[in-house]
Amino acid sequence: MWHMSVEILDAKTKDKLCFLDKVRTYFFSSYPQWYPARQSIRLDPKGKSLKDEDVLQHLPVGTTATFYFRDLGAQISWVTVFLTEYTGPLVIYLMFYFRVPFIYAPKYDFTTSKHWVVHLACMCHSFHYVKRLLETLFVHRFSHGTMPLRNIFKNCTYYWGFAAWMAYYINHPLYTPPIYGEQQIRLALIVFLFCQIGNFSIHVALRNLRPPGSKTRKIPYPTKNPFTWIFLLVSCPNYTYELGSWLGFTLMTQCLPVAFFTLVGFIQMTVWAKGKHRSYLKEFRDYPPLRSPILPFVL
Amino acid sequence: MFKAAHSDVAPKRKKGPGALATAYLVIYNVVMTAGWLVIAVGLVRAYLARGSYHGLYYSIEKPLKFFQTGAILEVMSRVFLTWAVTHSVREVQSEDSVLLFVTAWTVTEIIRYSFYTFSLLNHLPFLIKWARYTFFFVLYPMGVTGELLTIYAALPYVQKTGLYSVTLPNKYNFSFDYYTFLILIMISYIPLFPQLYFHMIRQRKKVLGHVEDYSKVE
Repeated sequence: MWHMSVEILDAKTKDKLCFLDKVRTYFFSSYPQWYPARQSIRLDPKGKSLKDEDVLQHLPVGTTATFYFRDLGAQISWVTVFLTEYTGPLVIYLMFYFRVPFIYAPKYDFTTSKHWVVHLACMCHSFHYVKRLLETLFVHRFSHGTMPLRNIFKNCTYYWGFAAWMAYYINHPLYTPPIYGEQQIRLALIVFLFCQIGNFSIHVALRNLRPPGSKTRKIPYPTKNPFTWIFLLVSCPNYTYELGSWLGFTLMTQCLPVAFFTLVGFIQMTVWAKGKHRSYLKEFRDYPPLRSPILPFVL
Repeated sequence: MFKAAHSDVAPKRKKGPGALATAYLVIYNVVMTAGWLVIAVGLVRAYLARGSYHGLYYSIEKPLKFFQTGAILEVMSRVFLTWAVTHSVREVQSEDSVLLFVTAWTVTEIIRYSFYTFSLLNHLPFLIKWARYTFFFVLYPMGVTGELLTIYAALPYVQKTGLYSVTLPNKYNFSFDYYTFLILIMISYIPLFPQLYFHMIRQRKKVLGHVEDYSKVE
């Protein structure tokens, strides 16, 4: 049986921490405050963290290996973060829709808007977040199990804050419906639904690229579903469709805060799309050159 | 077989700004120093001429506006205070609080821009460095007090006139209450100012901490 001795040093102080045969689980049993998810083990103090799938014997080490440890801080699972950040907007928006007391003037408590677009907007907004919750539970296959704990506060502030801000105006007793009325609302609804289906199709396509429990990365390609044909032109069409959905919602509600939320979301998604696009290019020599990160030919 | 020929590797030189960037920065800083000196001189002359602080704002209004807006890189609070508060609310312009923060900014800026100018020319007199990291002890609280008092003075007028405020209903379904916004700004000073202040104190320890070493280098 192949045997090796392993030494783990603290990445900052280079103090010897312990001798180990198997890495993360044994490390955890010696240091119970550092559960496996928050251990970053590297071959180089400033290097990339090794993955659980990495095999000790295949690493460029001799019979005595020196690894460097870094504490990633308290971790929280992606699923938990997604569920929390998406449930907030769902609930918060409904509170404004039903005009729960202390938001608007008391005479409006528990009244409903006379504009049917307000009801439609509530259905769309709620549908969007229910879809996200279901996708989190049944569709997405996450590369990383966890993220730093502080992210949940940052993310929830963003989603919950914007949801409250938008919902306040859309459900306000003095809300003004779109200038072009029925036509505008109908067009907006079509755009919104089209992009919701599109976004869902991409999520399913990405899921199917990856066998259950695996973390492999492959180039996504168009499938039989026409909504995925956008892969010909774009690396991250899920973001493209997401932008489209929110543009539809902005058009539907004709509400400046919604436009602002759409803009901020677009900026963030562009940053992510560019990053993803770059990793695709780095990892795959034969990556289709026609593709742009998020907007065909443009961005 | 291991020995790397370290002697052949050139020592890593710190990459500073290129010649053109340096020239631009020098000119920029000289102009800013001059501008703030103009304002300072203007203040002193106006005081001597009038014999009181009354109406001092008007004497330096033009250069103040120019040098504040010209410095787009400046901290947002400065531009905001000048335009969105002091300029917009006429009634506030004769307040003593305005003099307070203008004086604080003026002195701060003269020191700061001469500091940058000299740094760029690699010839920083210790006195300037010392002044930059010491005067702030008084100038920061002075400036903050002036700014807060000015905003506070502007509040009743903002509320009465609805300045910069947007109300419902409107076709963009948006509203903005400048009065509430100003109050939030004032509240934001509570976490922000101590952070800035303690950051400067930490910087001071770092920069001036090794006074003995520095005099050897100079």
